[in-house]
Amino acid sequence: MSGLLCQANVGFLFSHGCGSAAAMTCMRCAMPLCEQHVMPVGAEMLCATCARQHEDHTGDEGGVDEDHPSYYYDDYGYYGAAATSGRGRAHDANDFTEADGESLRHEDDASFEEDMGGS
Amino acid sequence: MGHLTRVSALARAASRRGHAVVLLTNSPFASGLPLEDVLGTGVEVFRLNPALGREAVGEVVAQCLEDVRPDLFVVDTFPRGLGGELAPLLPSVRARKVLIHRDVNPTYVKQYGLARAVDAFDLLLVPGEAAPFANHPRAVRTAPWLLLRASELLPRDKARARLGVPAEDTRALVAVMGCGTPEEVGEAGHIAARLEATLGPDAVVRWLVPPGAAMDAPASAPRARQGRRAEASLAEGLALRRSTWPALAVLPGVDVLVGAGGYNTVQEARATGTPFVALARPRLYDRQALRLRPEERAGSVEALVARAAGLARAGPARSERPYVSGTDDAVTLIERTVLSA
Repeated sequence: MSGLLCQANVGFLFSHGCGSAAAMTCMRCAMPLCEQHVMPVGAEMLCATCARQHEDHTGDEGGVDEDHPSYYYDDYGYYGAAATSGRGRAHDANDFTEADGESLRHEDDASFEEDMGGS
Repeated sequence: MGHLTRVSALARAASRRGHAVVLLTNSPFASGLPLEDVLGTGVEVFRLNPALGREAVGEVVAQCLEDVRPDLFVVDTFPRGLGGELAPLLPSVRARKVLIHRDVNPTYVKQYGLARAVDAFDLLLVPGEAAPFANHPRAVRTAPWLLLRASELLPRDKARARLGVPAEDTRALVAVMGCGTPEEVGEAGHIAARLEATLGPDAVVRWLVPPGAAMDAPASAPRARQGRRAEASLAEGLALRRSTWPALAVLPGVDVLVGAGGYNTVQEARATGTPFVALARPRLYDRQALRLRPEERAGSVEALVARAAGLARAGPARSERPYVSGTDDAVTLIERTVLSA
């Protein structure tokens, strides 16, 4: 690998690059990796991050309910009384576009508390 | 990075009131940020390896609590910990416990019994936004939390100079905030490049990147955690890139801010009155589409670029509003909680 060093994060308390000589690169993100930090996923050799993303994307996804209301909120509709803007107008869910709906599609995701980088 | 910025704001305010603070984070951005410089000597920062799993994080937190023996334990957003690692620990923690409580996915709230989890805390601080348990008997709302005080923001001319805009250049400055995940930081470079192509000589465009992020690496260095798309974004936005943190400091020099709907970007744009347009990014816990106001929210990258360009050309005035941060109030509330123990 012409002198490249493994970029995998290691260390228990303090994160730092592995620093060993790289033997290959991740087949998705091209991160240089040594033999210890490459993960075989199907036919691909991946870094830990891409392997985790692969698992996330291939895992089961529950049904999506984009209209899920929150009964925890007294003022659902949001930022009404709590707004600091002084506009005093709550959001209208009908203002949402498809892209906004996409941003909420994880609401019924079953993978809560499984990914320490998930927020 | 949002959690880290929010707790940094609180840690900084507490430290300035004379409290010793230990900040424990597993943010992937933490290793590159000059946290010690911004937070001061009163805050000790422990950077956990972001690759640690929940069991390992739980062990580190337990060991840290054993070693530090704090009077107060503050948890951001997740009363059970992000991986549920705090749930078994909290009953044995003698310190007073404070939860920073903001909006979270209601399905998660319900499925994981957060109504019971928040009862383990002596105080719920609600920093400026609606939240599921904002009406809890021990919940107190404050203004949104900001990392810097008003006097610490750069004057307009210095902010523009910091972003590489010559003093004689009076064109509008559009800043695209590289925030969220490392991949989204890269995508911001792509958006910045598209904006520059759209605006041409009508405005100056900058891509703000947190120091130490993969996108902040020299172009010739091996870059970690970047996909092909991010690699392309890096090449497109390279000339526009400015390593900046906290970006809040330079907002007085920014005429249009382009970003996402995360807590800090939104609150910082509003507090500084900076014209702002953003995408609502999908998150497992946070709901950015609900945080953004209709006039702030763009439904696609194309709409984002068009609206930002329109704003830059129109030269909208900054909205005048008092710059208010709730961090000092939060520290006062915490002090009362500790004194009442």
